[in-house]
Amino acid sequence: MARKPRRDLTVEEQLARGPIDLPFLMLVLLLLGVGLIMMFSASYATAYYDPNVSSPLYYITRQALFAAAGVLVMYFVSKVDYQSLRWLAVPMLIGSIVLLALVITPLGVTINRAKRWLHMLIVAGPTYQPSEIAKIAVILFFASRLSKRETEEKLHWNQHMRAGRVLQTLDDVGFLELVPYGAILALVGGLMIMEPHLSGTILVLAGGAAVLFAAGIPLRWFFLGGGAVFLLLWGVVSFTPYMTRRINLWLDPWADRLGDGFQTVQSLIAIGSGGLLGKGLGKSMQKFLYVPEPENDFVFPIVVEELGFVGACLVLLLFALLILRGYWLALHARDKFGALTIVGIVTLLAVQVFLNVGVVTNLIPNTGISLPFFSFGGTALMIQLAEMGIVLSISRQIPAPKND
Amino acid sequence: MRDGERDQRHADSQGAQPHESRSKRQVFRRTVVLMLMFGVGLFIPLIRQLWQVSVVDHEFYQKYAVEQQTLDVSVAASRGNIYDAKGNIMAMSATVYDLILSPRDLVASVNQNEFKEDGVPDESAYNAAIQKKRDLIVDELVRVLEADRDQLNKRMERTNSAYEVLRRDIDGELADELQAFIADNKLGYSLMMVPTTKRYYPYASLAAQVLGFCNDEGGAYGLEAWFDSTLEGTPGRVVTAKTGVGTQMHNSYSEYVDAVNGYNLNLTIDTTIQSYVEQTLEEGIQKFDVRNGAFCLVMDPNTGAIKAMASSPDFDPNNYSAILSEGLQKLMEENTESIYETLKAGNTEGLSDAELMEQAQSTAYSDAVNTQWRSKVLDSRYEPGSTFKSMVLAAALEEGVVTESDTFYCSGSVMVPGWNTPISCSVTSGHGTQDLSKAFSNSCNPAFIEIGRRLGIQKFYDYFEAFGFTKQTGIELPGEASLTGAFWDRDKMTNVDLAVASFGQRFEVTPLQMVAAFSAVVNGGYLVKPYIVQSITSQDGAVIQNTEPTIVRQVVSEQTSQRCAVMLEEEVNTGTGKNAYVAGCRIGGKTGSAETNEKGRTIVSFIGCAPADDPQVVVLLAYDKPQESSRDRRVNTYGTYISGGNMAAPMAGPLISRILDYMGVEKIYGADEAAAMDVATPSVVGKTVDDAASALEKQGLKYRTVGQGDTVSRQVPSARTQIPSGSSVILYLGDAAPEENATVPNVVGRTYDTARKVLENAGFFMRASGVSTYYTNTTTASSQSIPEGTVAAIGTVVDVQFSNTVEDGAVATRG
Repeated sequence: MARKPRRDLTVEEQLARGPIDLPFLMLVLLLLGVGLIMMFSASYATAYYDPNVSSPLYYITRQALFAAAGVLVMYFVSKVDYQSLRWLAVPMLIGSIVLLALVITPLGVTINRAKRWLHMLIVAGPTYQPSEIAKIAVILFFASRLSKRETEEKLHWNQHMRAGRVLQTLDDVGFLELVPYGAILALVGGLMIMEPHLSGTILVLAGGAAVLFAAGIPLRWFFLGGGAVFLLLWGVVSFTPYMTRRINLWLDPWADRLGDGFQTVQSLIAIGSGGLLGKGLGKSMQKFLYVPEPENDFVFPIVVEELGFVGACLVLLLFALLILRGYWLALHARDKFGALTIVGIVTLLAVQVFLNVGVVTNLIPNTGISLPFFSFGGTALMIQLAEMGIVLSISRQIPAPKND
Repeated sequence: MRDGERDQRHADSQGAQPHESRSKRQVFRRTVVLMLMFGVGLFIPLIRQLWQVSVVDHEFYQKYAVEQQTLDVSVAASRGNIYDAKGNIMAMSATVYDLILSPRDLVASVNQNEFKEDGVPDESAYNAAIQKKRDLIVDELVRVLEADRDQLNKRMERTNSAYEVLRRDIDGELADELQAFIADNKLGYSLMMVPTTKRYYPYASLAAQVLGFCNDEGGAYGLEAWFDSTLEGTPGRVVTAKTGVGTQMHNSYSEYVDAVNGYNLNLTIDTTIQSYVEQTLEEGIQKFDVRNGAFCLVMDPNTGAIKAMASSPDFDPNNYSAILSEGLQKLMEENTESIYETLKAGNTEGLSDAELMEQAQSTAYSDAVNTQWRSKVLDSRYEPGSTFKSMVLAAALEEGVVTESDTFYCSGSVMVPGWNTPISCSVTSGHGTQDLSKAFSNSCNPAFIEIGRRLGIQKFYDYFEAFGFTKQTGIELPGEASLTGAFWDRDKMTNVDLAVASFGQRFEVTPLQMVAAFSAVVNGGYLVKPYIVQSITSQDGAVIQNTEPTIVRQVVSEQTSQRCAVMLEEEVNTGTGKNAYVAGCRIGGKTGSAETNEKGRTIVSFIGCAPADDPQVVVLLAYDKPQESSRDRRVNTYGTYISGGNMAAPMAGPLISRILDYMGVEKIYGADEAAAMDVATPSVVGKTVDDAASALEKQGLKYRTVGQGDTVSRQVPSARTQIPSGSSVILYLGDAAPEENATVPNVVGRTYDTARKVLENAGFFMRASGVSTYYTNTTTASSQSIPEGTVAAIGTVVDVQFSNTVEDGAVATRG
């Protein structure tokens, strides 16, 4: 496709060719680089001692390939005019719901007692989690719909009928407009919790809620919704022995340090033995088959063990800067759709970081969640980078500040 | 916020609808809230928690990390040997192997990836491969170790375990065979021979309580326990990192500390003397029906070096939990019964009979093993009885309160102020008037009560302390008996205490104290500290520590010591100790019999030294509880009068003689003794009778002739036979031929001369042994080595034992 000269471009097209936000890109690449290095360090021992894995470089080679591909994907996505995502959101959402439903069917792939994966080509190919797609689809759909919230025409109900009056009241308090969002969240979340995929569900809810919040949905609904979720959780925790046990393990992982508390205890030992400055890059001992899955959900303890509290804080600082820069981009986005999309994506990232680090430090109960850019998982990384591409794409259309 | 405000102005200036502007402002505000919440707020608890875990609780987690990440393998140090005085190995360590199976690693050693068919795992082939490997091991172990197949298979199933001990202490060819099997089949990851050491005691039960034994934790009893740290050395360590599944990692964290081998102990104990002693103990126990064991201590009186220390019943340290002694086994069975009855009577927990029996058995067993592990020499106390008179004598002579010329009158009993019944002597009819030496050899109690009175409580107590009876000897062995309650306080001692103490009753001493004190009496007056370890050497021979004899103090003067020695020798020659007499040995000693609080239990003992003028060895021999006869309490079940003089002394004499022979101490014979010594017969066949007679006379032999002729055709006994001097050699002249055999006549009950004549007439020769006075025909033969009526070859030498019943028994001071 021949590149059109600038003068032939429409205003929209010209805007889409604006400069991407360099600080954000740099932060993404920096985190990706640090993440790759740390994942390599953490995964080396696991791969080395695993008789089913051919080389100690097994994890890092795969991850690096996906990272390279992911960076390309991010670049291309950033080139796409994000306005087209407005309409793309609908098929994406429908598609992801179908995929989520497929996971529950025998086509779903079970790993570690959870059925969360599908093959790329349905029956073959690398596995991926449809929930990753669902998360971004939900955010895009919410953002595109909510960006038109103010311009939507008010519905009028028949005041002479009782049902009409009820509906009118519901519309007035803002309930009716929430129904489609609630239904989507309930459907997607419900499908995910059936896998089971608690952390994914939390992320979808958090991402969706953040978009709704930013779009200006009255605060009372968040209190009501939050209250409902809290009650639901409380019920689940108190009445299912499995969850009660998890909570007890969280409160005192040492009580069963060789059993179910093993992972948490080993994670804490890794973090604790790291100390202020750490043992030095590559010198973790806990990665030698002590911490389970150090290349995956539990990569962060190895980071702390090797780089210490200081190194871990630097990593968290990078994440914080990325998140802050993301919101900053949202604040300056050209339109509401862009702003809401960024809010959703960045909130997803922030919550995921919080949940992962919270779990490994035993701040919150174990939910099983990976750390963006650090944890092993090719498709997840690519989708993550694609999301970053969307943010970058939106950043292109931020109008340059005027020099008054 | 400045950007935001500008943005707002920008929106306003574009003249957008106020509605749109309000909505945009709201999005802006809410995004800022989210920004603060997720970009800053969320990280605060995370950082706080990270700080808590990684910095505040660092020590706590670091400890756990080091604990689980390091593999601390101990490298065994070789335990030192124990040698006797002549360099014989009494205890040694050898490498043996424990066979360890790791069912987990066995499964892991089969690579599941090799069992794939078209990429699909073939479970059955994989399982079959594991089973094949298991069977290989099980078959071999069943064949070589005769192990139980079912049990092995069961242990194979424990796939979570990496440490199943299949067999301990494998040594020699068996170990080599298993090593080869492991190497040949490349089973090193799942089947391991882990080297450890095992303690061997080549002399088995010899000096068992002295040596003690080792259990899994190291030295548990005896020298093994006392010198445990010396013997065991310092184990080396290899500290390496390990992975979460226990695999060793050699990296920069590895640390190696070499093992330092243990030192050797070189004892003063001589295994030969020790074996004489133990033999004597067992013989005496059999001979006198002794029920409560026996003990014997042999010491060099000049240095305090212990040459033998034995206690019966004993055990085999190679197998220390087995009860060897028949007597002890019988006792254990009896105790089991009585404990069972007691338990049954006090059974409040409603246990079944079988459970009670089990309890009773285990209690009785633990009592029994503890009994056999204990050395009576070390941890028992006993009333010394008359043997203590030696120290009283020495003290009195030193203080000058008596002299050899003093006389004492004994009426058979004496009244002591403060005691309302008379204290009697062993000879109830009384010894009459006697000088000091006689009073000592008669072991006369009234005489010693008088001597004690002359010393007085304070002087008596001074010497009691000086002879070391108030303190433990401090020998380097565990378990020396405590002295609490063994004797009176100085200020509480009464005249009655003094009176009975003067003949060794109503207080207790340990055998070690007794031997040390007796040594002081005879060695020139010096109290020496007994010791048993001569030196400690490293395994390459360097002397680490050498024990010099320790003189605690001089108790009496050289002269006093010599005067005592004379009287002690006299006591053995003519007194209550005369059954200990052995020609040429010049034994000096004292007998003793002490009653105990236990009814029917008497401890009979003899303490002596030899040669009396220059003692080289002190021996204390005691038998605990020769069984009383039901008919007469004074004699044992076999009719021997229960006393030190009749039981301990006759056993001690030959023992001392053998020890002196072994030590190469020259025997000095008196004229009478020389006359009875063995001589070798010269060869006189072919000689004339006159020549033969002179040849025989030169050797101190007599002769008698049988047959007619001038030349000797045969002689009995033949040339170079050892027969006692003064015996008559039979010379056969001409055609006269000796009978091949003859019947041995009875000589028991006859005097020395008669017995010899009877035997020689029958064609035999007599070798006499026993008390010193047999030359004077005042004693009679008590036993003969070949019983009456036996047909024996002409010329055989018959050993005849002469003895006297001596009246030195315990005195009834109690009621």
